[in-house]
Amino acid sequence: MSTREIISTGNDLAAIASVDAGCMFFGGYPITPSSEVMHTISDLLPKVGGAAIQMEDEIAGVAAAIGASMSGVRSLTATSGPGISLKAENLGLAQMAEVPLVVVNVMRGGPSTGLPTRVSQGDVAQAKNPSHGDYKSITLCAGSLAECYTETVRAFNLADRFMQPVFVLLDETLGHMHGKAVLPTVEEVKAGIKLRKTFDGPAEEYHPYGVEQDEGAVLNPMFTGYRYHFTGLHHDKNGFPTEEIETCRKLIERLFHKVEAHQDEIDSYEEYMLDDAEIMIVAYGSVSLAAKESIRHLRAEGIKAGLFRPITLWPSPVEAIKKHTDRIKKVLCVELNIGQYHSEVQRAAGRLDIDGLFKVNGRPLSPYEIVNKVKEL
Amino acid sequence: MTAMKAPENTPVWVDESRCKACDMCVAVCPAGVLAMRQEPTSTLGSMVEIVALNDCIGCNECELACPDFAIYVADNKDFKFAKLTEQSKARSKAIIENKYRVLG
Amino acid sequence: MAFNYDSYLRVEKMPTLWCWGCGDGVILKAFIRAVDKLGWSKDDVCLVSGIGCSGRFSSYTDFNTVHTTHGRTIAFATGVKLANPTKHVVCVAGDGDALAIGGNHTIHGCRRNIDISLILINNFIYGLTNSQTSPTTPQGMWTVSQKAGNIDPTFDGCKLAIAAGASFVARENVTEPRKLEKVILEGLKHRGFSFIEALSNCHINLGRKNKMNSAMENLDWIDSITVSKAKYDKMSDEERLNLLPTGILHQDNEAAEYCDMYEEIKKVHQKQRKVITQDDFAKKI
Repeated sequence: MSTREIISTGNDLAAIASVDAGCMFFGGYPITPSSEVMHTISDLLPKVGGAAIQMEDEIAGVAAAIGASMSGVRSLTATSGPGISLKAENLGLAQMAEVPLVVVNVMRGGPSTGLPTRVSQGDVAQAKNPSHGDYKSITLCAGSLAECYTETVRAFNLADRFMQPVFVLLDETLGHMHGKAVLPTVEEVKAGIKLRKTFDGPAEEYHPYGVEQDEGAVLNPMFTGYRYHFTGLHHDKNGFPTEEIETCRKLIERLFHKVEAHQDEIDSYEEYMLDDAEIMIVAYGSVSLAAKESIRHLRAEGIKAGLFRPITLWPSPVEAIKKHTDRIKKVLCVELNIGQYHSEVQRAAGRLDIDGLFKVNGRPLSPYEIVNKVKEL
Repeated sequence: MTAMKAPENTPVWVDESRCKACDMCVAVCPAGVLAMRQEPTSTLGSMVEIVALNDCIGCNECELACPDFAIYVADNKDFKFAKLTEQSKARSKAIIENKYRVLG
Repeated sequence: MAFNYDSYLRVEKMPTLWCWGCGDGVILKAFIRAVDKLGWSKDDVCLVSGIGCSGRFSSYTDFNTVHTTHGRTIAFATGVKLANPTKHVVCVAGDGDALAIGGNHTIHGCRRNIDISLILINNFIYGLTNSQTSPTTPQGMWTVSQKAGNIDPTFDGCKLAIAAGASFVARENVTEPRKLEKVILEGLKHRGFSFIEALSNCHINLGRKNKMNSAMENLDWIDSITVSKAKYDKMSDEERLNLLPTGILHQDNEAAEYCDMYEEIKKVHQKQRKVITQDDFAKKI
């Protein structure tokens, strides 16, 4: 892999990554701490012939992005937790109509307005089920400045692969962190772009939603002679509303199964000093940086700690978690929320004795807090 | 104009599979060409009937008012329509007063 | 020969789900005739609708069609249009859809003057959900959510659209299908945001409880509350009370269109022109 170095922030890197990944449309609304994504992409997109628009509210921001994506254009929206709450219904439409979209969510504390300028990981559970109904969320979580870039690129490819919204979770610390990131070259990113499947046969043989049970819809761009229908209603193979019992069942089961059946393409995690570890810390996002630092301190004191860092949060890497929790007795989940992923680790491990270190006062976790907690175990 | 082929020598015709028997076409016909007949198989129990085919003046009002793409009028370039007569006007009035139903 | 509506319809969806005598079908036909007169290719049109009876427009017409969430029609359409500025984007929404839950998007679509045509079907009631008060339900009428009589003041969508900056605003009555076709045609042709209010009947969910038992009675009432703009302009304020003017109410062919303005943004970033300043606008505030 050829690389390059950029000095930037997490939010800017998410914007730059989007444009490098072929994004041509942004719809959004100002919200702390994600606004810089919009600020930056509103300069970058017109340069490459794309368009960025600040809409009248969060709902319109995601709606415009979904509309552009329906027309066939790679699209982005960016927001924070309260914005996701507002966008939730339209994210459900994108799940139902299988419209690819990347949603960068720079998390802050909640509920409600919470702590807008402080760090939190309060949107992890929300990312799993922002909208009502049944679907399978794909949520990636950047753990470094470089990953603010690479996970955003990956999100665009996954959105087109699985034909649904994909979340990229950043947190305030990463979003506003300014530093060096070692990134793949633009050429390499462009070479890795995998656009959504399209159909090029005769229009009368085109059935956008008439696909195998483990596949996403095949949605041709608008204005190309394949006139079909998008709806949030249960729909048939051509996208038209239906209440036919079997069609309805198969549709919703497919929304689940298309992700479940190919989880190996989505899974991503980092195992840090786990081989000989007697204590496993589970952490993601900026917290994982503190966790790594704490592990170096613990190891210097002879305590064999290691880190499991899920990069794909949803669907969770159940098998990888279980492999380690079957061997390692002491497991500590460290999160800037009250255990939103802790319960998932318990579920994956099939164990209720997973410890937790949780912080919800808007302040980051220091390595020393983790060191002290590990020593208590 | 995107055109469809008209039945031969027919000024106005109905696609009964689409008609919901709303009475609108009958209500707007100035020439008493249309009226509702009793039709047990229709949801509302009636169906539009062309009762005076040769008196159609080609005004197109029925087609414009039909919400269901169920009634069509030939293009006036293709068909020589009748003139509106006092007799037609009187029939129209009588049909409307008869709650849009076929007279007699 | 006769006009071939079927070539614009998804005929397998016929008959429509709309009630007998519903004005939605008359508006749909007027829209189809207008598109035909313009000679637009079906491939070049995107029709976006919301939730409600009017939402069905998108599944019945053979364009690139989108049935969105309640009230968000214009927001979705803005994305489609800005990403595809050379294509034709049409929104269809009801009075609840575009003036209540989606009121904000209507305001800002008008304000941006983006080249989208909105056909707002105003039947003065929430029809699909069975007779709840809408922003246009006349005061004193019975609704299922205000059985003692509606006390909520009504909303004039056209006045709102003009105030918000739409460069084409028209209203027409479903009992005048030829005039309706004409205002839709002019609205579709117009470059900028076109707000076209089509007054329609809902004898089922408005009429039956308000002494208008049939489509014809409901339509007669609409006739009684509408008057052409030419006549309306000559009336005194007293005479205008309880009347809505019809026809093209406002048209500004000079107003800058949003996608055109965005092309200038692209030029700035592509270093083809200097940055946009206040001097570029005659009207700045």
